[in-house]
Amino acid sequence: MKIICKIILIYLVSINVVAREVGETEITTEDGIEVFQNEKFYLLKKNVNIQSDSFNLVADNVKINFDENLYDITKLEAEGNVKFNSKEFGLNGNGNILIFEVKIERLKIQGKESKLITNDVQMFSDGFIEVNNLTGDFFIKGLNSKLINENILIKARAIDGTFTNDDNKKEISFLNVYDENISYIKNIDTEMYANKINFKKDTSIIELIDNVTIIRNDEKISGDYGSLDTSSNSYKIKSKNNSKVKVIIQNNEQ
Amino acid sequence: MNFFLYINRKIIFYLGITIIIFFLILIFSKQINQKNIGLNYSKSLLTDADISEPKFSINNESKKIYITASEGNFINKDEILLKDNVRFKSNEFSIETDKVIFNRNKQTAQSTTKSMFKSKNSTISSQGFNIFDKGNKIIFYGNSYIILK
Repeated sequence: MKIICKIILIYLVSINVVAREVGETEITTEDGIEVFQNEKFYLLKKNVNIQSDSFNLVADNVKINFDENLYDITKLEAEGNVKFNSKEFGLNGNGNILIFEVKIERLKIQGKESKLITNDVQMFSDGFIEVNNLTGDFFIKGLNSKLINENILIKARAIDGTFTNDDNKKEISFLNVYDENISYIKNIDTEMYANKINFKKDTSIIELIDNVTIIRNDEKISGDYGSLDTSSNSYKIKSKNNSKVKVIIQNNEQ
Repeated sequence: MNFFLYINRKIIFYLGITIIIFFLILIFSKQINQKNIGLNYSKSLLTDADISEPKFSINNESKKIYITASEGNFINKDEILLKDNVRFKSNEFSIETDKVIFNRNKQTAQSTTKSMFKSKNSTISSQGFNIFDKGNKIIFYGNSYIILK
């Protein structure tokens, strides 16, 4: 029994000797590493696992560009079954391809069922999700693109905009939404459909262009152009010369 | 009554046996070590190495990689098998391993033994490596482990 205990103790000590220390990044691969010194990048091959204090990532293959030395990472490109999470920055996600440019803090996730979840915002797409942490700009493009935050749900083929940090909370200050079929936005009590939807926080106006429908409570109003003032929660819809605004009021008190 | 008469005879017997065994082990282990030293010494005298303490280098435009080992054997005109304490050293990194085949003509090196790469704030351990393109490209084989500080 004592011998078994000693063996276990020696094993645990030997593991600790190999394991990474605080502040270090540990990378394991199953099929080796290719280092290209003149081109300043290295390829991590097969079942790559990157563990650091602030960031964890797994992927089939990873390419890392460096500046002077291997640790001086400028760009990381992960490919195949990419999954990552960062407790420090409160984000996680997955996709088929992940590209992170370290200096400009730009993160791009590509591929079917791409996902980026932060403490305040959830983004989904079958195309790509791109977020620039320094500028707050974001782009979501492709089928099944979707953005969800505390007060709003957006579904469209293309969503781009800007986040601002208000009281450590991400809020959308600018938004352009487009879908050749139809874009969809839902806030607390209103559903909006249009080909193109724009929003500016400065003016508090959501602008709806082409094939517009606004649904609130039992009202359903359609037209060619609409605007919703988020500060007063009022809206209006216009129509082109040859078409009319259509209003449907449902009576649920039957 | 004398105090020693109270001690169990069995305990004294087993204690004695243990001490004898301990000294026997000590003596035998010393003899084995001496034999090993003798064998190693005779081996070193009768080594089949073609070159002892070989030194080579891989040169490219920007850097020079120095290669040293305890011994080397010619495989053919260009290839040399470097054995024991094989070390590649440049200004930027070092690699240590046990066996390497170095090609003088192509300026390449290939190893299938456990290797340790060290550069500033980073280490790579792998199950072998291949250096080519005049030292510009290094491929580390198999399960590999990197630590970036």
